[in-house]
Parts: sequence; structure tokens; C-alpha cells
Amino acid sequence: MTLFHFGNCFALAYFPYFITYKCSGLSEYNAFWRCVQAGATYLFVQLCKMLFLATFFPTWEGGAGVYDFVGEFMKATVDLADLLGLHLVMSRNAGKGEYKIMVAAMGWATAELVMSRCIPLWVGARGIEFDWKYIQMSFDSNISLVHYIAMAAVVWMFTRYDLPKSFRLPVTVLLGLCVYKAFLME
Amino acid sequence: MFEEASEVFDNMFKSSFPLTFIVFIPAVLILVSPLPAEAAHEFTVYRMQQYDLQGQPYGTRNAILNTEARTVEAEVLSRRCVIMRLVDFSYERYQKALRQSAGAVVIILPKNMSTMPQDIVQQFMELEPEMLATETIVPVYFALEDDELLSIYTQTLTSSSSQGSSSAAEVLIHTATANGFQMVTSGAQSKAVSDWSITSLEGRLAGTGGEDLPTIVLVAHYDSFGVAPWLSYGADSNGSGVSMLLELARLFSRLYTYKRTHAGYNLLFFVSGGGKFNYQGTKRWLEDNLDHTDSSLLQDNVAFVLCLDTLGNGDSLHLHVSKPPKEGTPQYALLKELETVVSSQYPEVKFSMVHKKINLADDTLAWEHERFGIRRLPAFTLSHLNSHREAQRSSIMDVRPHVDLRKLSRNTKLIAEALARVIYNLTEKGAPGDLQIFTEQMVQEEQLSSVVDWLTAQPRAAQLVDKDSSVVSTLEYHLGRYLKDVRRHYVKADKRDPEFVFYDQLKQTMNAYRVKPAIFDLLLAVCIAAYLGVIYLAIQVCINSTWFPSMSP
Repeated sequence: MTLFHFGNCFALAYFPYFITYKCSGLSEYNAFWRCVQAGATYLFVQLCKMLFLATFFPTWEGGAGVYDFVGEFMKATVDLADLLGLHLVMSRNAGKGEYKIMVAAMGWATAELVMSRCIPLWVGARGIEFDWKYIQMSFDSNISLVHYIAMAAVVWMFTRYDLPKSFRLPVTVLLGLCVYKAFLME
Repeated sequence: MFEEASEVFDNMFKSSFPLTFIVFIPAVLILVSPLPAEAAHEFTVYRMQQYDLQGQPYGTRNAILNTEARTVEAEVLSRRCVIMRLVDFSYERYQKALRQSAGAVVIILPKNMSTMPQDIVQQFMELEPEMLATETIVPVYFALEDDELLSIYTQTLTSSSSQGSSSAAEVLIHTATANGFQMVTSGAQSKAVSDWSITSLEGRLAGTGGEDLPTIVLVAHYDSFGVAPWLSYGADSNGSGVSMLLELARLFSRLYTYKRTHAGYNLLFFVSGGGKFNYQGTKRWLEDNLDHTDSSLLQDNVAFVLCLDTLGNGDSLHLHVSKPPKEGTPQYALLKELETVVSSQYPEVKFSMVHKKINLADDTLAWEHERFGIRRLPAFTLSHLNSHREAQRSSIMDVRPHVDLRKLSRNTKLIAEALARVIYNLTEKGAPGDLQIFTEQMVQEEQLSSVVDWLTAQPRAAQLVDKDSSVVSTLEYHLGRYLKDVRRHYVKADKRDPEFVFYDQLKQTMNAYRVKPAIFDLLLAVCIAAYLGVIYLAIQVCINSTWFPSMSP
């Protein structure tokens, strides 16, 4: 609506990240560059996903009302690459113990925030017209921060070899939920 | 974190100048870029008239607006755009809005005028000249109603009428949930149009039998007038007059084709422009023909001039004269023939002569024949209206349903019969009063109907019809089918002392943006600060608990 409104939405979106970064003690460990590297990996993974989708999944011709379950299922499967990316970040990046999770998740989520939310907020929230969707978008980014932290934690748990067997199944299920979340919502 | 970040930026600055340039210029450009915003609703609005006539300004002077919308019930109206619907419109409310120095007025008209009850239409018709009479600085716009606009209006109504009546808490809740609208016009300030030329058309049918034949002139003005130029369709006034003129041209050109019926009168047809602006087209045409040319049909023997104005309805006919015709003159002959035809063939029509002296002290002339009367040419105007001050002569409510086609064709036949009796001198030759010269089929109702339909399909305000307009060229073509020597005649306002000045920006696109009041932003900021505080505390609690012992600082 105005620059002030844009400031509001930006604060709502960005400050939780800032608070999380500060309070989780990452700053003590000089993890800034590692977060940036995680963000770069995010960009790379998204690029690969886009290329893959564009090459192997041509636009689906057909009626507009019917939902193409199989096609969308395959597309959602590509989101497995997200998990692989997280795993890559966590395994390659130095960082002790549980910090890996936080570093990877923070970097990943921040990159997503910058890439997918900044431009719409800038263009849309600054205009004269008011719409609730910008506040919704900012709030959504908070939720996705928590989501990515959880996802990174589950991925890490998955790769631990000393995990008790009883935990394997729930962990796998949770991982599956993460990937197909968007698909299930439809 | 900020230290590391600043390190990064320092390196960037020190490395090379072009790099920083590349980084900063796009940022600056994005910051200052203008925003193409999407509106809640975009609609066309038509501005009220703005013109100067003989130095006197009329109508609204302003065109741009960028203000919040309110309805009349709201307490504070200053610098706001007041929205009114036609059903709720009244002069007192309009005056109230102007007195409180409103920023603009937008009047919403229904898409289909015929759904309005008659008394509202009548009341609005009478208010139009009053609205135009005074010069207003405030832009006044008219918009046609659709669902979106109606919903904007009802939302504004609810928020306006609830102001000033509730407690602070209610006001707070109200600001969070209400929707305000900002009305913005795209377009510049209005300015005078220079070099606007008003076009008129003339054509003739030459009589037979020697030189120096008497001339009969038939005149009708084709432009229309209303409170908003783009909405003035002028069906009865004067679409009916023009269609009747074309039909008479057709009839007499048929008669004049055959030697037996070729009469000894010249017929001159004139379709004039600028009629609603004090008959500018006629005025200049007369000046050119009488003062500036050596020989013209108007200079020699003019029998009479008959002006047709608003003849599409009603059961009465009035012949308006500025001087009662003397016995023995051709005008007297026409008067008598009209009375004869009416009494014997159309008894349901009430015919009368209305005598009104030309008053040169008035701002504008009453009827078109007065222009001819000033130049000492015998003239009268035929109309079904009793007085020139009738509101329907200059109203936007004058649309196609106002013209009753049967009455228009009956009037056409009546006038054609009377003219024929004068031209062929039938009364002297002893023809009875009820002799019908033109049979039923001769006056073609379909032709009349299609001409009226075409004329009322577009607004014909004098500000909108320039010399390349399709109205003018189609009229020229039609006249050319029946008449000879069809010529255009242009009127441009004098440079130093213009008789008329027109202004532009008569049609605009208005955008209505949904906005929230400023308090809402502050409220939102407070809420977000509270939310962030809660999150901070929550994270602190989580950290300091035993969940993540290795992470505590």
C-alpha cells in the first residue's frame, strides 16, 4: 500500500530469520559464509530442478478441470532433489554436530526468502492497492523457515547410521510428507 | 553477522569501481521506478461540460482527481470525492458537497435510463442547466453503473455513514476491517482546444422557370447538448429535426426530378452545427453569404426560412415567430397552409403560433430562426415544445425512446403537405384542404427510423464532432444523394475575441484503488512488533531450556 506497508511485510518476513540466527548461537561460530554457501546450493538445486522439469515434462495438453495426478506426482518426485541438496550441504559443510542442521536450514530458507518473496513484496506491497496476500506471503515465509529446519533435521536423522531401527519408519514417513506436501495439498 | 557482512561489502568496494556501480545503479533504479499498480476497478467516466460562450465560462473547470471516496452522508467531505447515485441525487446534496469544498463529484447513472422512474428523470433534466450555469472548480464526472461500481458504492456508503458515531475501540476495529477507495483519474488537466472548427452542410434544389426565383430555406441543427458531452445523444432535440430534414429533401428531390412537378421555388437545405451553442454555424453562414459573397441565394428573394427543432414527439405543434407574418407574404401563406392541413387532415394535432420578440440582451438566442430574423430574413421555427427553455432541449436523458416514430412521421407528412401547398400554390388553385399530395407510402418510416437510430447511436456534442467525424461525412453523403451543390461550411472561433471556446479531457479512465487508512499501517506495525517479541522470547526460552544444551551460549 505504501512504503510503510512494504516495511511491515518485510519485517514480518525477515525478522524471525534474524532472530533465529542470533539466538541459536550461530553467530558465535562464524557461520555466515556457510549459510551463504548453503544458499548457493539452494540456487543450484532449483536451477537443476527447473531444467529437468522443462526437459522431461512437456506441458500437459488436455482439459483444464481435470487434475493430472500422474504428471503432478512425477513433478513432486523431483522435489526429492531438495532433500538431496540439503543432505549435500550438511555432509560437505563443516560444522559440528547439530549445527549442520541449523546452518543448512538457515541458508536454504534465506535463499528461498530472497528469491521468491522479495520481488513480489517490493512490487506489490508498495502500490496503492491493498491486498491481504502480502501479509499472508510474509507469514508464509515464517512457516517455511520452521518447515525447512524440520526437514533438515529429519534428513540428518535419516543419514545417521546409529539411529535405532524403530525410528527409521517414522523418519521415512516424515521425509515423504515433506516432499509430497505440495502434492497432497492439492 | 553484521561485521562479516560489512567485510564482504568492503572488499566489494575496494576491488573495483565498476563492480560497485553495477551493484548500486540497479538498486537505485528500482527504488525510484514508478509503479504500475493494478486497481480494484477501472471504469470510464465522462466529464461535465466545460466551455466558454461569448466570454462567459460554464461548467466544471477541473479534470484531474486523486482523492478518497465518500458518499454524501459522511461528515467530512472536504477534499474527498463524493459519489452519488442518480436515484439519490438532489440539488441540495450537490450543493452541500460543493459548499464543503469536496474534491470531486462522481454521479453514477444506471446503464439503462428507461429503468428509472419518470419523476427522477424529469427532476434531473431540470437540474442540468442549473448545474451548468455556475462555474465550478470541482471536477464533476458521470459514470455508467455496473456491478463492481455498485459494490464500491455500497462499501463506501457503509463506511461513510458509520463515521463519527462510535467509540474508540469500534473505530479501531473498523479501520482494520474497512475498505477505503482511492479514486484516481489518468489524464492531464483540461485545456482549451485551439482551432476547433464546427462544420455545417448545405445543399440545394434549383427551381424551374426563369431567374430570380423565390427561395425557401429549411434548417435543422445536428448537434446535441447535455450536462456531459459524451452522454448527450440528443434524440428528440435535434435528431428528429435532422431526420425530418433529410426526408423532406428526399421527397422534394423526387418531385423536382419530373418536369411536371418541378416548381418555381429554389429549395435550400442547411444542416447546421454548433446549434446548441447559440447557433454558431448559422450565424457564420449568414455572415458569409450576406456580407462576403456577391451573389447568393440568401441575398435575393427569400420567401421564408423554416427551422425544424424537436419534432419527434407530442401532439402539438408550435410555430415560433419573432414577428407575426403580414398578410400576403409567403410566410403568411405557410402559416395558413399549416392551419389548413392540421384542421382537415390531422385534427388530433393542436397547432398554434407563438410570438416571442427577439431579446438581444439575453445571453443566448432562443430559437434558430432568431438568427435569420436579426438579418432581416423572414423566419420561423416549428417545434412541439412550447418554450425554448424546456429542459428536454439540452438533456442527457434525451435518448432514443424519447422519439415516437409514428408522431415523427406524422409531423413529417404534415409539414411536407403544407410546404407542397405553398410551393405549388394549391389553395389559390382551389385544391380542397384534405387533398393528400403525399400518399401513405411516400413518407418512408423505415428511413426516418434508421436515420434517428443512427443519429442517437453516438454522442453528437459540438465538442466531439470535428470536420473528419463520421457524422458529418455521412450527412454529407446523404444530402449528396438528393441535393445538388452540397457544400461544407466551417466555423472557427475568432482568435482575439472568441465566441466559443471548448475544452478537452471530456472522457477519462478512472481507477478505484482499495486502500486502508493510515492507522491500519500503524496497527499492523504494532501487531508485528508484538509477534516478533513473542517469537524472540519463545526462542530464548527454547534455547535456555535443556533441549539444546550444546547450543546455549
